[in-house]
Amino acid sequence: MTIHHHPPEELLSGFAAGVLDLGQHIAVATHLVACRHCRGTVQAFEHVGGTLLAGLPPTEMSMQAFAMVEARLSDGPSLSTTKPSLPNAHIADVAGLPPFVMNYPAGSWKWIAPKMHLRGIQLPEPSETRVFLLKSRPGTKMIEHSHTGFEMTCVLSGSFAHAGGHFGPGDFDFGDGTVDHEIVVDSAEDCICLIAMQGALKLNGVIGRLLQPLIRM
Amino acid sequence: MLNETANSAASDAARWPSLIEAVAARRDREAFATLFEYFAPRIKTFMRRAGASEQSADELAQEALLAVWSKAKLFDPASVGATAWIFTIARNLRIDALRREKRTRTDSAVEIDPEFHVDDGPQPDASLASSQLESRVRSALAALSEDQLRVVELSFFEEKAHAEIAQALRIPLGTVKSRLRLAMNRLRGMLGDLS
Repeated sequence: MTIHHHPPEELLSGFAAGVLDLGQHIAVATHLVACRHCRGTVQAFEHVGGTLLAGLPPTEMSMQAFAMVEARLSDGPSLSTTKPSLPNAHIADVAGLPPFVMNYPAGSWKWIAPKMHLRGIQLPEPSETRVFLLKSRPGTKMIEHSHTGFEMTCVLSGSFAHAGGHFGPGDFDFGDGTVDHEIVVDSAEDCICLIAMQGALKLNGVIGRLLQPLIRM
Repeated sequence: MLNETANSAASDAARWPSLIEAVAARRDREAFATLFEYFAPRIKTFMRRAGASEQSADELAQEALLAVWSKAKLFDPASVGATAWIFTIARNLRIDALRREKRTRTDSAVEIDPEFHVDDGPQPDASLASSQLESRVRSALAALSEDQLRVVELSFFEEKAHAEIAQALRIPLGTVKSRLRLAMNRLRGMLGDLS
Protein backbone atom coordinates (compact mmCIF):
# COMPACT_ATOMS: atom_id res chain seq x y z
CA MET A 1 0.00 0.00 0.00
CA THR A 2 1.55 3.27 -1.03
CA ILE A 3 0.34 6.23 0.94
CA HIS A 4 0.75 9.69 -0.50
CA HIS A 5 -1.29 11.92 1.77
CA HIS A 6 -0.49 12.26 5.47
CA PRO A 7 -1.92 14.24 8.39
CA PRO A 8 -0.15 17.55 9.07
CA GLU A 9 2.67 17.46 11.61
CA GLU A 10 0.73 19.22 14.35
CA LEU A 11 -1.98 16.55 14.25
CA LEU A 12 0.65 13.84 14.70
CA SER A 13 2.27 15.70 17.60
CA GLY A 14 -1.17 16.32 19.10
CA PHE A 15 -1.89 12.61 18.79
CA ALA A 16 1.37 11.73 20.55
CA ALA A 17 0.69 14.32 23.24
CA GLY A 18 -2.81 12.90 23.72
CA VAL A 19 -4.54 16.23 23.29
CA LEU A 20 -6.75 15.55 20.26
CA ASP A 21 -10.45 15.21 20.88
CA LEU A 22 -11.83 11.71 20.50
CA GLY A 23 -13.15 12.15 16.96
CA GLN A 24 -9.88 13.53 15.62
CA HIS A 25 -7.99 10.90 17.57
CA ILE A 26 -9.94 8.12 15.84
CA ALA A 27 -9.33 9.59 12.37
CA VAL A 28 -5.58 9.97 12.93
CA ALA A 29 -5.31 6.49 14.50
CA THR A 30 -7.07 5.04 11.46
CA HIS A 31 -4.38 6.53 9.24
CA LEU A 32 -1.62 5.30 11.56
CA VAL A 33 -2.81 1.72 11.28
CA ALA A 34 -2.00 1.94 7.58
CA CYS A 35 1.00 4.25 7.67
CA ARG A 36 4.33 3.11 8.98
CA HIS A 37 5.93 6.44 8.18
CA CYS A 38 3.58 8.39 10.43
CA ARG A 39 3.85 5.76 13.18
CA GLY A 40 7.56 6.57 13.18
CA THR A 41 6.81 10.28 13.50
CA VAL A 42 4.37 9.69 16.37
CA GLN A 43 6.92 7.52 18.11
CA ALA A 44 9.49 10.29 17.81
CA PHE A 45 7.01 12.76 19.29
CA GLU A 46 6.34 10.32 22.15
CA HIS A 47 10.05 10.48 22.88
CA VAL A 48 9.76 14.25 22.89
CA GLY A 49 6.96 13.83 25.44
CA GLY A 50 9.10 11.49 27.55
CA THR A 51 12.04 13.85 27.53
CA LEU A 52 9.84 16.81 28.44
CA LEU A 53 8.16 14.78 31.21
CA ALA A 54 11.50 13.80 32.72
CA GLY A 55 12.50 17.46 32.70
CA LEU A 56 9.36 18.78 34.44
CA PRO A 57 9.74 20.29 37.90
CA PRO A 58 8.49 17.81 40.54
CA THR A 59 5.33 18.39 42.58
CA GLU A 60 5.57 16.88 46.04
CA MET A 61 3.50 13.71 46.40
CA SER A 62 1.11 13.34 49.32
CA MET A 63 2.68 11.80 52.42
CA GLN A 64 1.04 8.42 52.15
CA ALA A 65 1.36 8.09 48.39
CA PHE A 66 4.23 5.64 48.24
CA ALA A 67 2.91 3.51 51.09
CA MET A 68 -0.49 3.30 49.42
CA VAL A 69 1.01 2.23 46.13
CA GLU A 70 3.34 -0.23 47.81
CA ALA A 71 0.41 -1.86 49.57
CA ARG A 72 -1.18 -2.48 46.19
CA LEU A 73 1.85 -4.02 44.49
CA SER A 74 1.23 -7.59 43.62
CA ASP A 75 4.13 -9.99 43.43
CA GLY A 76 2.46 -11.97 40.71
CA PRO A 77 3.94 -11.95 37.24
CA SER A 78 3.72 -8.73 35.33
CA LEU A 79 1.19 -8.48 32.52
CA SER A 80 2.64 -9.76 29.34
CA THR A 81 -0.19 -9.05 26.95
CA THR A 82 -3.08 -6.66 26.64
CA LYS A 83 -6.23 -8.13 25.23
CA PRO A 84 -8.34 -5.56 23.52
CA SER A 85 -11.98 -6.42 23.76
CA LEU A 86 -14.03 -5.78 20.67
CA PRO A 87 -17.62 -5.64 21.81
CA ASN A 88 -18.91 -4.36 18.48
CA ALA A 89 -17.28 -6.81 16.14
CA HIS A 90 -20.40 -6.72 13.96
CA ILE A 91 -18.91 -3.86 11.99
CA ALA A 92 -16.00 -6.11 11.15
CA ASP A 93 -17.62 -6.48 7.73
CA VAL A 94 -16.29 -3.08 6.74
CA ALA A 95 -13.13 -3.72 4.77
CA GLY A 96 -10.10 -1.91 6.08
CA LEU A 97 -11.69 -0.74 9.32
CA PRO A 98 -9.09 -0.91 12.10
CA PRO A 99 -10.12 -3.20 14.97
CA PHE A 100 -9.97 -0.46 17.61
CA VAL A 101 -12.87 1.36 15.96
CA MET A 102 -15.01 -1.66 16.81
CA ASN A 103 -14.77 -0.58 20.43
CA TYR A 104 -17.42 1.94 19.56
CA PRO A 105 -21.01 1.10 18.73
CA ALA A 106 -21.93 1.85 15.15
CA GLY A 107 -25.32 2.36 13.65
CA SER A 108 -26.36 0.55 10.50
CA TRP A 109 -25.78 1.80 6.96
CA LYS A 110 -28.28 4.47 6.08
CA TRP A 111 -29.12 5.57 2.59
CA ILE A 112 -28.46 9.27 2.35
CA ALA A 113 -28.36 9.95 -1.36
CA PRO A 114 -28.21 8.01 -4.59
CA LYS A 115 -25.13 5.77 -4.42
CA MET A 116 -24.24 6.95 -0.93
CA HIS A 117 -24.62 5.34 2.47
CA LEU A 118 -23.59 6.61 5.84
CA ARG A 119 -22.92 4.77 9.08
CA GLY A 120 -22.45 6.73 12.28
CA ILE A 121 -19.90 5.77 14.92
CA GLN A 122 -21.29 6.53 18.35
CA LEU A 123 -18.80 8.18 20.60
CA PRO A 124 -19.24 7.51 24.31
CA GLU A 125 -18.63 11.11 25.25
CA PRO A 126 -19.63 14.43 23.85
CA SER A 127 -17.08 15.36 21.22
CA GLU A 128 -17.01 18.40 19.02
CA THR A 129 -16.14 16.06 16.21
CA ARG A 130 -18.61 13.66 14.59
CA VAL A 131 -17.27 10.39 13.23
CA PHE A 132 -18.94 8.34 10.53
CA LEU A 133 -18.26 5.96 7.70
CA LEU A 134 -19.25 7.00 4.22
CA LYS A 135 -19.70 4.46 1.46
CA SER A 136 -19.96 5.66 -2.11
CA ARG A 137 -20.57 3.63 -5.24
CA PRO A 138 -18.08 3.85 -8.11
CA GLY A 139 -18.56 6.95 -10.18
CA THR A 140 -20.25 8.92 -7.42
CA LYS A 141 -19.77 12.63 -7.78
CA MET A 142 -20.04 14.26 -4.45
CA ILE A 143 -21.55 17.61 -3.95
CA GLU A 144 -19.33 20.56 -3.68
CA HIS A 145 -19.20 21.79 -0.17
CA SER A 146 -17.22 23.83 2.22
CA HIS A 147 -17.29 23.60 5.98
CA THR A 148 -17.00 25.95 8.88
CA GLY A 149 -14.73 23.63 10.85
CA PHE A 150 -12.47 20.93 9.53
CA GLU A 151 -12.91 17.54 7.98
CA MET A 152 -10.56 14.60 8.21
CA THR A 153 -11.04 11.76 5.78
CA CYS A 154 -9.18 8.49 5.90
CA VAL A 155 -9.73 6.09 3.01
CA LEU A 156 -10.46 2.50 4.09
CA SER A 157 -11.09 1.01 0.67
CA GLY A 158 -11.58 2.19 -2.88
CA SER A 159 -10.40 5.62 -3.96
CA PHE A 160 -11.49 9.13 -4.85
CA ALA A 161 -9.97 12.18 -6.43
CA HIS A 162 -10.39 15.91 -6.11
CA ALA A 163 -8.34 18.96 -7.03
CA GLY A 164 -5.92 18.17 -4.19
CA GLY A 165 -4.93 14.78 -5.59
CA HIS A 166 -5.84 11.12 -5.70
CA PHE A 167 -6.68 9.32 -2.47
CA GLY A 168 -6.48 5.55 -2.01
CA PRO A 169 -6.49 3.20 1.02
CA GLY A 170 -4.65 4.72 3.99
CA ASP A 171 -4.53 8.22 2.52
CA PHE A 172 -5.52 11.06 4.81
CA ASP A 173 -7.29 14.12 3.52
CA PHE A 174 -7.34 17.14 5.78
CA GLY A 175 -9.73 19.90 4.84
CA ASP A 176 -9.71 22.99 6.99
CA GLY A 177 -12.68 24.71 5.51
CA THR A 178 -10.78 26.87 3.06
CA VAL A 179 -11.26 24.52 0.12
CA ASP A 180 -14.32 23.58 -1.83
CA HIS A 181 -14.18 19.94 -2.77
CA GLU A 182 -15.58 18.36 -5.83
CA ILE A 183 -15.01 14.71 -5.28
CA VAL A 184 -15.24 11.85 -7.74
CA VAL A 185 -15.11 8.22 -6.65
CA ASP A 186 -12.84 6.67 -9.28
CA SER A 187 -12.32 3.11 -8.01
CA ALA A 188 -14.02 0.10 -9.57
CA GLU A 189 -15.33 -0.92 -6.15
CA ASP A 190 -17.11 1.03 -3.42
CA CYS A 191 -15.11 3.71 -1.71
CA ILE A 192 -15.42 3.57 2.07
CA CYS A 193 -13.98 6.35 4.17
CA LEU A 194 -13.86 7.13 7.85
CA ILE A 195 -14.61 10.78 8.34
CA ALA A 196 -14.22 13.02 11.37
CA MET A 197 -15.92 16.34 10.95
CA GLN A 198 -16.13 19.40 13.09
CA GLY A 199 -18.27 22.41 12.48
CA ALA A 200 -21.23 22.68 10.19
CA LEU A 201 -21.19 21.64 6.59
CA LYS A 202 -22.39 24.25 4.21
CA LEU A 203 -23.93 22.12 1.56
CA ASN A 204 -25.05 23.26 -1.80
CA GLY A 205 -27.74 21.79 -3.96
CA VAL A 206 -30.64 19.45 -3.44
CA ILE A 207 -28.61 16.49 -2.23
CA GLY A 208 -26.84 18.79 0.15
CA ARG A 209 -30.09 19.77 1.76
CA LEU A 210 -31.03 16.10 2.04
CA LEU A 211 -27.69 15.24 3.57
CA GLN A 212 -27.57 18.10 6.02
CA PRO A 213 -29.95 16.81 8.69
CA LEU A 214 -28.58 13.27 8.46
CA ILE A 215 -25.01 14.23 8.91
CA ARG A 216 -25.76 16.15 12.06
CA MET A 217 -25.92 13.14 14.34
CA MET B 1 16.73 24.47 31.65
CA LEU B 2 16.98 21.46 29.42
CA ASN B 3 20.54 22.45 28.69
CA GLU B 4 21.44 22.67 32.36
CA THR B 5 20.11 19.21 33.04
CA ALA B 6 21.32 17.62 29.84
CA ASN B 7 24.13 15.71 31.49
CA SER B 8 22.13 14.34 34.38
CA ALA B 9 19.29 13.56 31.97
CA ALA B 10 21.64 11.48 29.87
CA SER B 11 22.92 9.48 32.84
CA ASP B 12 19.35 9.02 34.15
CA ALA B 13 18.29 7.87 30.72
CA ALA B 14 20.87 5.13 30.93
CA ARG B 15 19.60 3.72 34.22
CA TRP B 16 15.82 3.86 33.79
CA PRO B 17 15.60 0.88 31.42
CA SER B 18 17.53 -1.40 33.77
CA LEU B 19 15.34 -0.36 36.69
CA ILE B 20 12.17 -1.17 34.74
CA GLU B 21 13.65 -4.48 33.67
CA ALA B 22 14.52 -5.28 37.29
CA VAL B 23 10.88 -4.64 38.19
CA ALA B 24 9.76 -6.91 35.36
CA ALA B 25 12.17 -9.76 35.95
CA ARG B 26 12.57 -9.81 39.75
CA ARG B 27 9.67 -7.71 40.97
CA ASP B 28 12.43 -5.56 42.48
CA ARG B 29 10.83 -3.16 44.98
CA GLU B 30 13.91 -1.09 45.47
CA ALA B 31 14.17 -0.40 41.76
CA PHE B 32 10.47 0.45 41.82
CA ALA B 33 10.97 2.89 44.71
CA THR B 34 13.66 4.69 42.70
CA LEU B 35 11.35 4.98 39.71
CA PHE B 36 8.52 6.18 41.96
CA GLU B 37 10.67 8.79 43.61
CA TYR B 38 11.70 10.34 40.32
CA PHE B 39 8.63 9.93 38.13
CA ALA B 40 5.61 10.17 40.44
CA PRO B 41 6.24 13.85 41.35
CA ARG B 42 6.82 14.75 37.68
CA ILE B 43 3.73 12.88 36.50
CA LYS B 44 1.86 14.79 39.20
CA THR B 45 3.09 18.06 37.66
CA PHE B 46 2.01 16.76 34.24
CA MET B 47 -1.50 16.00 35.58
CA ARG B 48 -1.76 19.34 37.40
CA ARG B 49 -0.88 21.17 34.20
CA ALA B 50 -3.53 19.20 32.38
CA GLY B 51 -6.04 20.62 34.83
CA ALA B 52 -6.33 17.84 37.44
CA SER B 53 -6.93 18.87 41.06
CA GLU B 54 -4.18 18.39 43.63
CA GLN B 55 -5.82 15.21 44.90
CA SER B 56 -6.63 13.65 41.56
CA ALA B 57 -3.18 14.52 40.17
CA ASP B 58 -1.69 12.69 43.15
CA GLU B 59 -3.95 9.68 42.56
CA LEU B 60 -3.23 9.62 38.83
CA ALA B 61 0.51 9.70 39.50
CA GLN B 62 0.04 6.75 41.86
CA GLU B 63 -1.97 4.89 39.21
CA ALA B 64 0.73 5.58 36.64
CA LEU B 65 3.44 4.08 38.82
CA LEU B 66 1.21 1.10 39.60
CA ALA B 67 0.89 0.61 35.85
CA VAL B 68 4.67 0.78 35.52
CA TRP B 69 4.82 -2.07 38.03
CA SER B 70 2.12 -4.19 36.44
CA LYS B 71 3.13 -3.59 32.81
CA ALA B 72 6.90 -3.69 33.29
CA LYS B 73 7.15 -6.86 31.27
CA LEU B 74 5.65 -5.12 28.25
CA PHE B 75 8.52 -2.62 28.23
CA ASP B 76 10.86 -3.34 25.35
CA PRO B 77 13.97 -1.18 25.71
CA ALA B 78 15.05 -1.95 22.16
CA SER B 79 12.00 -0.32 20.62
CA VAL B 80 11.07 2.46 23.02
CA GLY B 81 12.90 4.74 25.44
CA ALA B 82 12.06 4.41 29.13
CA THR B 83 10.85 7.98 29.57
CA ALA B 84 8.76 7.76 26.39
CA TRP B 85 7.20 4.52 27.68
CA ILE B 86 6.36 6.11 31.04
CA PHE B 87 5.08 9.20 29.24
CA THR B 88 2.63 7.09 27.20
CA ILE B 89 1.36 5.40 30.37
CA ALA B 90 0.75 8.77 32.03
CA ARG B 91 -0.77 10.21 28.85
CA ASN B 92 -3.22 7.34 28.50
CA LEU B 93 -4.27 7.64 32.14
CA ARG B 94 -4.86 11.33 31.65
CA ILE B 95 -7.00 10.69 28.56
CA ASP B 96 -8.92 8.02 30.46
CA ALA B 97 -9.55 10.37 33.36
CA LEU B 98 -10.75 13.15 31.07
CA ARG B 99 -13.03 10.76 29.20
CA ARG B 100 -14.52 9.41 32.41
CA GLU B 101 -15.28 12.96 33.50
CA LYS B 102 -17.10 13.73 30.27
CA ARG B 103 -18.97 10.48 30.13
CA THR B 104 -22.62 10.32 30.92
CA ARG B 105 -23.20 6.61 30.45
CA THR B 106 -21.48 4.17 32.75
CA ASP B 107 -21.56 1.19 30.43
CA SER B 108 -19.24 2.71 27.92
CA ALA B 109 -15.76 2.14 29.24
CA VAL B 110 -13.47 1.93 26.27
CA GLU B 111 -9.93 0.67 26.54
CA ILE B 112 -7.66 3.45 25.48
CA ASP B 113 -4.51 1.41 25.01
CA PRO B 114 -5.53 -0.40 21.79
CA GLU B 115 -6.03 2.96 20.12
CA PHE B 116 -2.41 3.77 20.56
CA HIS B 117 -1.13 0.27 19.92
CA VAL B 118 -2.31 0.45 16.39
CA ASP B 119 0.09 -2.15 15.19
CA ASP B 120 1.70 -5.15 16.78
CA GLY B 121 4.19 -5.61 13.99
CA PRO B 122 7.77 -4.47 14.09
CA GLN B 123 8.20 -0.92 15.27
CA PRO B 124 8.76 1.67 12.54
CA ASP B 125 12.42 1.89 13.11
CA ALA B 126 13.93 -1.21 14.54
CA SER B 127 17.31 -0.21 13.17
CA LEU B 128 17.54 2.97 15.20
CA ALA B 129 18.13 2.00 18.83
CA SER B 130 15.75 3.71 21.23
CA SER B 131 18.72 5.10 23.13
CA GLN B 132 19.89 6.81 19.94
CA LEU B 133 16.42 8.19 19.38
CA GLU B 134 16.35 9.46 22.97
CA SER B 135 19.66 11.25 22.67
CA ARG B 136 18.62 12.72 19.32
CA VAL B 137 15.42 14.00 20.90
CA ARG B 138 17.38 15.54 23.77
CA SER B 139 19.75 17.39 21.48
CA ALA B 140 16.91 18.42 19.18
CA LEU B 141 15.00 19.92 22.12
CA ALA B 142 18.13 21.58 23.46
CA ALA B 143 18.67 23.20 20.07
CA LEU B 144 15.25 24.86 20.02
CA SER B 145 15.04 28.49 20.99
CA GLU B 146 13.52 29.28 24.38
CA ASP B 147 10.38 30.54 22.58
CA GLN B 148 9.99 27.42 20.50
CA LEU B 149 10.54 25.17 23.49
CA ARG B 150 7.87 27.06 25.40
CA VAL B 151 5.20 26.50 22.75
CA VAL B 152 6.16 22.83 22.42
CA GLU B 153 5.87 22.37 26.19
CA LEU B 154 2.55 24.18 26.30
CA SER B 155 1.19 22.10 23.47
CA PHE B 156 2.23 18.88 25.19
CA PHE B 157 1.38 19.59 28.78
CA GLU B 158 -1.16 22.28 29.19
CA GLU B 159 -3.70 21.18 26.66
CA LYS B 160 -4.25 24.79 25.93
CA ALA B 161 -5.97 25.87 22.81
CA HIS B 162 -3.69 27.91 20.60
CA ALA B 163 -5.68 30.99 21.55
CA GLU B 164 -4.93 30.43 25.23
CA ILE B 165 -1.25 29.90 24.54
CA ALA B 166 -1.29 33.20 22.68
CA GLN B 167 -2.81 34.89 25.71
CA ALA B 168 -0.41 33.27 28.15
CA LEU B 169 2.63 34.28 26.12
CA ARG B 170 1.13 37.62 25.06
CA ILE B 171 1.78 37.03 21.41
CA PRO B 172 -0.66 37.02 18.47
CA LEU B 173 -2.50 33.79 17.65
CA GLY B 174 -0.86 33.58 14.22
CA THR B 175 2.55 33.71 15.89
CA VAL B 176 1.66 30.77 18.14
CA LYS B 177 0.58 28.71 15.18
CA SER B 178 3.62 29.52 13.08
CA ARG B 179 5.99 29.08 16.03
CA LEU B 180 4.51 25.71 16.88
CA ARG B 181 4.61 24.55 13.31
CA LEU B 182 8.21 25.75 12.98
CA ALA B 183 9.26 24.05 16.21
CA MET B 184 7.58 20.78 15.23
CA ASN B 185 9.09 20.84 11.76
CA ARG B 186 12.46 21.62 13.21
CA LEU B 187 12.19 18.77 15.70
CA ARG B 188 11.02 16.44 12.98
CA GLY B 189 13.92 17.50 10.77
CA MET B 190 16.48 16.97 13.50
CA LEU B 191 15.07 13.59 14.38
CA GLY B 192 15.74 12.48 10.86
CA ASP B 193 13.82 9.97 8.83
CA LEU B 194 12.43 7.44 11.23
CA SER B 195 10.39 5.32 8.95
